[in-house]
Amino acid sequence: MIRIASVCNSLLNQAKLVPLENRALLHKSSRLLDENKSKSEELKSPEDLAKQSHLNSKPIDFTNYAPVKPSKKKTLLSDSKYESNDYRLPKWKEAFGELVIRTLKLDMDKVRAGPVAGSYYYALCKNIALQYEGEELSNTAKFFYQDLKLPRTFSQWFQITILHEWLLFVRMRAMPFKYGRNYQQKLVDRTFADIEVRLFDEMNVTTGRIVDQYLKDFNTQLRGAVFAYDEGFYTDDATLAAALWRNLFGGRKNIDMVHLEAMVRYVRSQLYVLSRMSDRDFAVGSFKFVPPDETVERLSTKQEAQLKQKTIEKYEAIDNDPNILPSDKSQLSYKN
Amino acid sequence: MSSSSAIRDSAKQILRIIEKLPDERIKHLVSFKDSQAERFRRVAGLQSTNNSEKKASLEDIKDIITRTSGPLGLQKDLLKKVQLTLPHDELTEQSIQEQMKALTNISDSKFKKYYEVGDKLYKPAGNPIYYQRIMDEIEGKQKETFLTALRTVVFGK
Repeated sequence: MIRIASVCNSLLNQAKLVPLENRALLHKSSRLLDENKSKSEELKSPEDLAKQSHLNSKPIDFTNYAPVKPSKKKTLLSDSKYESNDYRLPKWKEAFGELVIRTLKLDMDKVRAGPVAGSYYYALCKNIALQYEGEELSNTAKFFYQDLKLPRTFSQWFQITILHEWLLFVRMRAMPFKYGRNYQQKLVDRTFADIEVRLFDEMNVTTGRIVDQYLKDFNTQLRGAVFAYDEGFYTDDATLAAALWRNLFGGRKNIDMVHLEAMVRYVRSQLYVLSRMSDRDFAVGSFKFVPPDETVERLSTKQEAQLKQKTIEKYEAIDNDPNILPSDKSQLSYKN
Repeated sequence: MSSSSAIRDSAKQILRIIEKLPDERIKHLVSFKDSQAERFRRVAGLQSTNNSEKKASLEDIKDIITRTSGPLGLQKDLLKKVQLTLPHDELTEQSIQEQMKALTNISDSKFKKYYEVGDKLYKPAGNPIYYQRIMDEIEGKQKETFLTALRTVVFGK
């Protein structure tokens, strides 16, 4: 089974190298706007929006500045060679994997959930706000910790991560039920498996009992956050803002409304990108979060039709290829 | 003096926007609307309504305890400290205008309208009544029964 999973993984690695058509289209418009320098206020990226605030308010937060200070740093995903980007399976293993898939008639959409949701999408979410003491923050982490002035703590990292996971959940729900649910399950499983190891290795918790307590607490937070965001997503921006305020901003009293607005914009724009993606594209892992310093502009009807056309052409070519590998097959729709 | 009265006026306008925000559908430990109304009431120089004096009823406490064991992952004394401390806002005319504009955008659902995702996400193919069920439950329109809950646990929807 490991071999089969790794076949998909290597395929996935190839997929990652392909320029992401969808994103390119969505981002092209924002680049054009940059050139024109006539950025109206309407089109500011969440980061620009957050940076323009002049609010000066103290104390921002009570939780101290406590960057993660690992005694033993964990790799992003795992030490297994099958999860590394450079590893390529030997040809005979690949061929054997394909043979197994063909003879057992494995449902690749189910198999793919592990490497895509459990590995690739989890790495995306985890990476957004990862922070270690003495290491420079990534651009996305800077947005959260510096521009939004969130505390640099482990639980804050968790909150940012589950916000991004929830964004993916929303899209996964729109997949056919048995696949979408499987993707969600894989993502959550991986999250908690990873946090457990990180608590031991990086947060230096020594007893399993305390780790269990933390995990239960994180689980409660996840459920609460998913519920609150769901409610906000379905109703209105004010409810979504209140949910973000309670969860992401820890209910701080002197919240900067401009920051809150920037976050609402950030969340809604990611969902917009997700909603324009076909099931197939999303399921093979072509999604990436739009960085906070980029603006998502709405697609015109024409652009949208173009985007759909491109996706359909791409996957028709794959599906109609007589030499298609069994591991490339998928039943998921590319037309929605 | 004129600038401070301008700030007070803006704060009053902000208060008006905050009052229009929708009420929470279920009770949380802290309410965005209440805490922000309190904050800007002070800036506007209005009397505090002394919400903090109002004791939570036994029902409220029970409700909150049964839902979350460790609220927000915060320690209890820390949570209390956060709630009691007053923020020291140094608001200028410029910054309060920014706050007001941001809040207006939020209360107008500007981004929900701008980034319209459509029924693809609001009525997701895998489970079209997912959000409707949540809303019905918290608005009290159609409560979940033991059987529907069991069905969700077993079949996932």
